[in-house]
Amino acid sequence: METKIQSEAFQTFIDVSGSLMNYEIQTWLDKGGKVAGHFCSTVPEEIIMAAGYMPFRMRGTGSTDTELADAYFSPINCSFPRHVMNQALKGEFKFLDALLCINACDHVRRIYDNWVRYAKDINETTFETVMSLPRKCGERQVDWYYDEINILRDQLAKHTGVEITDDKIREAIKLNNQARSVQKELYELRKADNPPITGAETLVAIVAGTAMPKERYIELMRQLIDDLKDAEGNTGYKARIMIVGGELDDPEYVNVIEDQGGLVVTDSNCFGSRLFWVNVDEEVKDPVRALARYYIYERPTCPRTYGSQPERMKFTRDLAKEFNVDGIIGERLLYCDSWLVEHYMTKFDLKEHNVGVPFLALDREYVLSGKGQIKTRVQAFLETMES
Amino acid sequence: MPRLTKEILDKSLERFKVERDWFNDNLEATRQMPGEEFELNAMLLEILLNAKQKVIDAAYNDEPFIGGYFCNAPELFTSMDLPWMMVLETPFLAASAPYILDDIEGAEEMGLLGDMCTAIRLPIYYIENNMMPIPTCCLGLLYPCDGAPMLHQVLMHNSNWTNVPIYSCDPPYTSDERAVNYFAEELKEMTKFIETHTGRKRDMDKLVEVCERSNQVYTIWQEYMELRRHKPCPHGWEVGGAQCFAISQCFTVGDPKSVAWFEKLITVAEKRIKDGKGAQDIEGWKENCRIFWFDIMPYGWVFEFMPWLEEELGVVLVNDMFGNFPYTLIDTSSEETIYHDLAKRNLVDAPMIRQARGTAENFAYDIKKNIKDYNIDCVIWPGHMGHKDGAATVGIMREACREMDTPFLHIGLDLFDKRYTSIDEVKDKVATFLQGMGFI
Repeated sequence: METKIQSEAFQTFIDVSGSLMNYEIQTWLDKGGKVAGHFCSTVPEEIIMAAGYMPFRMRGTGSTDTELADAYFSPINCSFPRHVMNQALKGEFKFLDALLCINACDHVRRIYDNWVRYAKDINETTFETVMSLPRKCGERQVDWYYDEINILRDQLAKHTGVEITDDKIREAIKLNNQARSVQKELYELRKADNPPITGAETLVAIVAGTAMPKERYIELMRQLIDDLKDAEGNTGYKARIMIVGGELDDPEYVNVIEDQGGLVVTDSNCFGSRLFWVNVDEEVKDPVRALARYYIYERPTCPRTYGSQPERMKFTRDLAKEFNVDGIIGERLLYCDSWLVEHYMTKFDLKEHNVGVPFLALDREYVLSGKGQIKTRVQAFLETMES
Repeated sequence: MPRLTKEILDKSLERFKVERDWFNDNLEATRQMPGEEFELNAMLLEILLNAKQKVIDAAYNDEPFIGGYFCNAPELFTSMDLPWMMVLETPFLAASAPYILDDIEGAEEMGLLGDMCTAIRLPIYYIENNMMPIPTCCLGLLYPCDGAPMLHQVLMHNSNWTNVPIYSCDPPYTSDERAVNYFAEELKEMTKFIETHTGRKRDMDKLVEVCERSNQVYTIWQEYMELRRHKPCPHGWEVGGAQCFAISQCFTVGDPKSVAWFEKLITVAEKRIKDGKGAQDIEGWKENCRIFWFDIMPYGWVFEFMPWLEEELGVVLVNDMFGNFPYTLIDTSSEETIYHDLAKRNLVDAPMIRQARGTAENFAYDIKKNIKDYNIDCVIWPGHMGHKDGAATVGIMREACREMDTPFLHIGLDLFDKRYTSIDEVKDKVATFLQGMGFI
């Protein structure tokens, strides 16, 4: 990836986010550590960490086709799980000891079923589970997820032989909150008229945080933020853009937008602000209860959570205002019903509430293709803001 | 003061009344046809029409009625004497609706693109264009797919529906006792919600009565499914099967008319078996192949496909996902047992919620059980474009079939839009497969 950022920390982030296995993971493994992969940002990383694992957010980085996965998935499935499954069937996740899935969406939840049957042996994982995350966000759902987290805690304790105490969970919460805070601090820099970091570069830094030990990540993020404080800002852009959508871990997609002159200054994405905008409450006596509340209703939700569309819309509107956004791009992986309808409502609401920010729905495949079409549509979108 | 202005009310009922009138004409025509199967169809149409008329009457008289989804324990609101409709009803009547393709185009123009489930985008189109009755309150269900919660969110978002309170039950991803108990609590809360927003009170005696009659229906249904094991199968795609689902929990529930329909169904099937008749009465026709159609039938173009399959090729749809019978009878001895068993029936037994919610075990289990119980020769997974979790389970389904030494066909189509994969192409795929396997 090309970058103007002069920072060793950022170079590490480029390496970490650019592949599945990386030097940081290898170092962790060399020290006797184990890695647990997980899907979706609603699996409580804190429990994984309290069990002694390094959490790794699953991606399909490096995949170029879905030939092997196509025996198990169909062409109407989202390309994200198909690419991940293809990587799994090639044995690219041998660095994992465990895999934690969740009923995130209709496509991703089926990775569990296919993994345990067809990819487990290839990747030699020794523990797999699937969590049941409610779709609503009331107190009964908090209770349900509280039990789910405790079930996971017991399962991991049994599997690893590690006693997962409340103190260890508290420690993991604290560490993750620190990571969230430095990520938010990085976003603060993007509020400037000439932000020192682009949207694509930011995505690199956020993705890296899901693929390396947290302590090391926090240390490098602090270095990066220091390095950026004296850096030359990005100028000459045509518009300040916000991206709203789901699973986006490919900086190249953001690059295509930014190459046309739309500087991405903020987002509401899975590998973005929704990950860290709110911290887990460290004051709650029972840390598992704190986690259940956090993952059910305290953090910003995605469209799989029913009934909170007005709150999501408010989150988008507030961020657009805070970051002085000129236009919103709704990115969506093809075949995603949730984001299709969410974008439909967002477009309506932006118009209805006279927010004054235009919206462009921009579909994509997980591995970037149709660059020309994306460029043309972004160019046209930016022109509407210039006129 | 009425809930809705006359203009909004009239427009919201326009399409619903067209459908009622269409089914009324259909009923008149069916009554003229000879044969007991037509009598059964007429009874079913009467039940359907009665349900539709009740909704229309309630809407015009400003009386409470429910907008329901499917598999949300209709015994509960039926026992409160509340008329109800399903918000995703029209796509399933699609073969009867000449406007369906225009409606799909309308949905696409709104931005609800062709990769989104047609069964979900059509109701969204109807809601957004005020083409659906606006109920007093709405009951949703947040599975079997990602489309379900999105449909409910659009309901909440639409200005005409802003004052329509909605409660959606949240089925967990698991199916153990903990999950059933959680879902039972959801149903209890749903009951309170209905009471609050309709003014009707739950009457335990009435609920017991509805559940017991519903049990009676399910018991006869199970008995009927035994008859479908017979070779040749006494009925094909048109009679029994998915009709049983419709008449047990879609248009009515715990209804004496349903009991009468099921009793007649048994009598008719037994007579056919005794007379040595298969699904068709065509001279020289024989049952060449028994299939398990593992999904909803292609309602958008069912009359252009299923008769061809059965009459011309002798391929009989012995069972489908909605005819599948794994149901729990309700223990009516206490409030707790009723809610527990209603929760189990709607969470673990009911079609699609059973397979598509939760891990893929039931996909494989139901395939194997149907092959074994009904002497199935091949399994067809139609591959509806909206059933994305199933699309990610094709490898598992194929493997289940392989273990049973039974051929498996995955087509890839839209059950409601015949332009997605043309009917000729579907026929060609099916015929090529069946020929290749030596069935025709």
